[in-house]
Amino acid sequence: MASVKLTDVKKVYDNNVTAVHDFNLDIKDKEFVVFVGPSGCGKSTTLRMIAGLEDISGGTVEIDGVVVNDLQPKDRDIAMVFQNYALYPHMTVYDNIAFSLRLKKMPEEEIYERVTNAAEILGITQYLTRKPRALSGGQRQRVAIGRAMVRNAKVFLMDEPLSNLDAKLRNQMRAEIILLRQKLDTTFVYVTHDQTEAMTLGDRIVIMRDGFIEQVGTPTEVFEQPHNIFVAEFIGAPKMNMMETRLSREGAKYFVSPFGVKIEVDGEKARQLAEKNISDREVVLGVRPEHIVLSEAGAPGAIPCRLEVNEMMGSELHLHVYTENETRLVVRIPTIDLTEEQRRNMVYGAQLYITFSGKVMHFFDKENQKNLIYS
Amino acid sequence: MANISDLEYLRLSKGQKLLFRLKRFFTDSLPNGLKNFFVRIGKGIGSGCQKIGSECKDIVSTFVHGDWKTKLSYLVMGFGCLARGQILRGILFLLFEIVFIGYMILAGGYWLSMLPSLGKVGPTETYNELFDTYTTTYNDNSFKILLYGVLTIFFIIAFIYTWRQNVKQNQIAEKILASGKKLRSGKEDLHSLVDDQFHKTLLALPMTGILIFTVLPIIFMVLVAFTNYDGAHDGYASNLFTWVGLKNFNTMLSWNSAGGTQSYAATFGEVLTWTLIWAFFATFTNYFLGMFVAMAINKKGIKVKKLWRTILVLTIAIPQFISLLYVSKMFAKDGIINGTLLSLGWIKQALPFWEDPTWARITVIIINIWIGIPYLMLITTGILMNIPADLYESARIDGANPWQQYTKITLPYMLFVTGPYLLTSFTGNMNNFNVIYLLTGGAPTNAAASSAAGSVGYTDLLITWLFKITTGAESQYYLASVVGILVFIVVALISLIVYNVLPSIKNEEDFQ
Amino acid sequence: MSQNKTAGAVAKRHMGLKTSRRIGNTAIYILLIAMSVIWLVPFICILLQSFRVESTWQVGYVVPQKWGLDNYQNLFKTDFPRWYTNTFIAALCTAVLQTVIVLCMSYTLSRFRFKMRQPLMRFMLILGMFPGMLTMIILYRVLKDLGMTQANAVPGLILVYVASSGMGYYVSKGFFDTIPKSLDEAARVDGATRLQVLYKIILPLSKPIVIYTILTAFMGPWGDFVFARYISFGASAGKNVAVGLYDWLSKDQINKSYTMFCAGGVLVAIPVTILFMCLQKYYVEGVTGGAVKG
Repeated sequence: MASVKLTDVKKVYDNNVTAVHDFNLDIKDKEFVVFVGPSGCGKSTTLRMIAGLEDISGGTVEIDGVVVNDLQPKDRDIAMVFQNYALYPHMTVYDNIAFSLRLKKMPEEEIYERVTNAAEILGITQYLTRKPRALSGGQRQRVAIGRAMVRNAKVFLMDEPLSNLDAKLRNQMRAEIILLRQKLDTTFVYVTHDQTEAMTLGDRIVIMRDGFIEQVGTPTEVFEQPHNIFVAEFIGAPKMNMMETRLSREGAKYFVSPFGVKIEVDGEKARQLAEKNISDREVVLGVRPEHIVLSEAGAPGAIPCRLEVNEMMGSELHLHVYTENETRLVVRIPTIDLTEEQRRNMVYGAQLYITFSGKVMHFFDKENQKNLIYS
Repeated sequence: MANISDLEYLRLSKGQKLLFRLKRFFTDSLPNGLKNFFVRIGKGIGSGCQKIGSECKDIVSTFVHGDWKTKLSYLVMGFGCLARGQILRGILFLLFEIVFIGYMILAGGYWLSMLPSLGKVGPTETYNELFDTYTTTYNDNSFKILLYGVLTIFFIIAFIYTWRQNVKQNQIAEKILASGKKLRSGKEDLHSLVDDQFHKTLLALPMTGILIFTVLPIIFMVLVAFTNYDGAHDGYASNLFTWVGLKNFNTMLSWNSAGGTQSYAATFGEVLTWTLIWAFFATFTNYFLGMFVAMAINKKGIKVKKLWRTILVLTIAIPQFISLLYVSKMFAKDGIINGTLLSLGWIKQALPFWEDPTWARITVIIINIWIGIPYLMLITTGILMNIPADLYESARIDGANPWQQYTKITLPYMLFVTGPYLLTSFTGNMNNFNVIYLLTGGAPTNAAASSAAGSVGYTDLLITWLFKITTGAESQYYLASVVGILVFIVVALISLIVYNVLPSIKNEEDFQ
Repeated sequence: MSQNKTAGAVAKRHMGLKTSRRIGNTAIYILLIAMSVIWLVPFICILLQSFRVESTWQVGYVVPQKWGLDNYQNLFKTDFPRWYTNTFIAALCTAVLQTVIVLCMSYTLSRFRFKMRQPLMRFMLILGMFPGMLTMIILYRVLKDLGMTQANAVPGLILVYVASSGMGYYVSKGFFDTIPKSLDEAARVDGATRLQVLYKIILPLSKPIVIYTILTAFMGPWGDFVFARYISFGASAGKNVAVGLYDWLSKDQINKSYTMFCAGGVLVAIPVTILFMCLQKYYVEGVTGGAVKG
């Protein structure tokens, strides 16, 4: 149980490629932090630098106030779960979990105690005498977690632990990790490329791109107040719709006019814009698919468009529509809101009208892609 | 040549494509590859010089900015470590310096001073009147001078490196102490040898062996090429040997045929040509036939696959010298083959397997196939099984017949995967001493070429010729050394061209 | 037109599928049987001739007219047992030492990323292009000064075989490369030192390559001719089997030792072949893996 502090951490490879630029982050004791970003963004590299598996090119990593830059992984008191599990194929499940304890020369009775205890929690007691080869993906994942659990390490590192599992198992294991976290009550650093995992697991999320931190915040913060277009598009599925339009100010009121339809920005958003004293300008307007609703011809703010693809997801429909100027938008409609007949008419080429309220808009600067309100 | 876009290239006919690629190979890939190589060498030298410069600067600045412990370390190695409490490191540095100075005074200086002359006084004979005998006094030893001279230079380089490390240690230690951290203790140093410095521990033994038993002898032998070291000048018992500059290379590469015998250059050319022909056939006959056999055994519906494989593998198990020597005798004039054929009445007189140059050359290639097929069968079996089956399924659905499947799928895949192997196999065959020496010993003798050096035969490779030169009556080590260097140059050149050019060709058939 | 042709071809293929495969397979069987004969004949001949007692020179027929074990008995009146022991000891020591060295080298080059790694590998590649035989001239003289030549050739031979064996790291490095690196990392995070990673994780997983390395290292000295000939030069007691048997086939000895050569060859081949056949699986694995990774 410990805090982790990264100060100006940098990773430069031999071929002068910089994988991580001046990374600064304070991870509090018992916090669950998730690094998320597309592949190659430096999230795994950062995690591996915390673990000591990768040399730190610059800056310092502190665990519990001690600079660990020059310490070997074994001296950092960390536990780690790897993407491909990294179970020792020649050892039984029991020996795998007991490996680190034996290296510490712990008495065998205590090892037995701890291993069976961990196996109990993870529900793998009946597999303890098997070799990893004889286990399914989900079971192997549990063994890998068990191996990290028994150590009572200060920090628990997880490097894309669920990405080798199929979708169903992944959801199940995700829930189990949340439970596990409550039981272990230690500091977690978790790396993933999946925004759903990040949102559901993290106390705080670190969104990275090309070696830079794009935003750090709680799931609610990064979802509701994305600092830039990248974060806005990365968090949330299907991703946020982006439209280029003009933001115009008329006294205290603001208006946007996507596709020639004038919509007023109202409530909190307008107040915040006014507070920042933002004047007329070209912006990128972002609206999440679930915030777009179906409208009718002639209704105020109705945008005409044509249906291209209708994805029936069960509880909701994902409609891919084209506006008159060929901008592609995605609309997410709860299935329950539609009548049988409406659903039957949702076919290729159908004429639809959509609209969205002024409360759920995000405004980004066209030049530097930053959020006009939150950055 | 005009550059054409990928799409334009696709529109060319088959012949035009081939022509285009050939042209591009000679006008583009080959020169560029070679150019890049030399540019890289140039850059390497440049950055090397730069590095030495910056090291020197660093050494000076460490001295200027260092404290007195650091400054004293420039003279007394390890002093800084000792003064800062890193006893183990300090003692090792100091010990090394003492050993080095001691060695240089006691022996190193002598060897180094003798190196330019390789010895001044040869063995002398003194007549003893009393017993009416000659006693020989042995004086300088050129061989030892050369050997220990080279060793001493090694040692000096090692010393300079260690001294530099010693300076660096001080710099690092000062920095660490300045940042308020503790230095590593001797115990931690020792522990790091099985942990973060474990690679040094692991490499210590193998690298020492390579250094002493490969690098040092190679440097020595390269130097021998510039001396007159041979049986008559063995540097100790008979006569001293000395530096002769490039004379041996002149001899080997001159076309002057002295006294009616063939020149060295002509002999070298003949042997080199045969070596290349041999390497080509030995590599590719084995490769394609081995692949063919592997495919035959792998074919669906063939039973007892394991038995066929085991029969072939048996030949790998039996030490080569037995099979080669025995087969060589089977093909002899009075051997079993000729004996059987004669008794069957198929031939009237014994076939000249080893007596006629052309027969002999073809026979060694064929026997080499016999030796090589099992090995290649094993290698190719593994790779063939790795070719994804769906490639073949898709090709069959596209309408490819077995031959097309072979040329369009199997062969490109195999060549791609085994490209590096083919190269090493080619250079390995160039130096395939065992097969040639045990089969023919180089025979039949090439009378015209023989007088040049050693007794050269028609099936002699450069490597067997080299062996004959050293074991021949005159033991012309200097010539052997020249041949060895030339072999190296040929092998390196071939490898260089293939390495620099191959990838550009390979990319077009990329399977990854 | 072309459609007709295709349809006809399809029909033909359909009708002939079974027969054509049968013909093809028969051809392959004939080929394989012929090959088996060609590959086995020399060994059968050598075996048969080792029992020939009516004459000791080379003859034009295969089956002995008079059978007997004389050749085997005569072997023990020569230096053959000594050569055999020499070779066996050299092979045994080489197998152990070379395996250690090769594994050290290949493990390091596969697992550690240090500054000198690439230059080191390139350097060894270039070193390998020099004909190794050349170094024998100097090694012979140095070993002679150390008293490790002629009758005492065995220690010298072992030294020569083992010392530079680090350069033959390719095959086992290729194998180590296939063991996921995350296993090392997991073990290091679990608290293992690099040494513990090696003997607790990697070595137990490397059984095939260890056996392959031991096997090839053991077989090497049985077939070595050049180095053994150099180092034992002129002394019968220092020869290995290859040099000894080679000399029996020289012009002045072949007439009285040819059948003895056959007997000696059989005695050398039997244990090596049995060992090889038992461990064949590992050999095949090593050879296939090594070639692919270059």
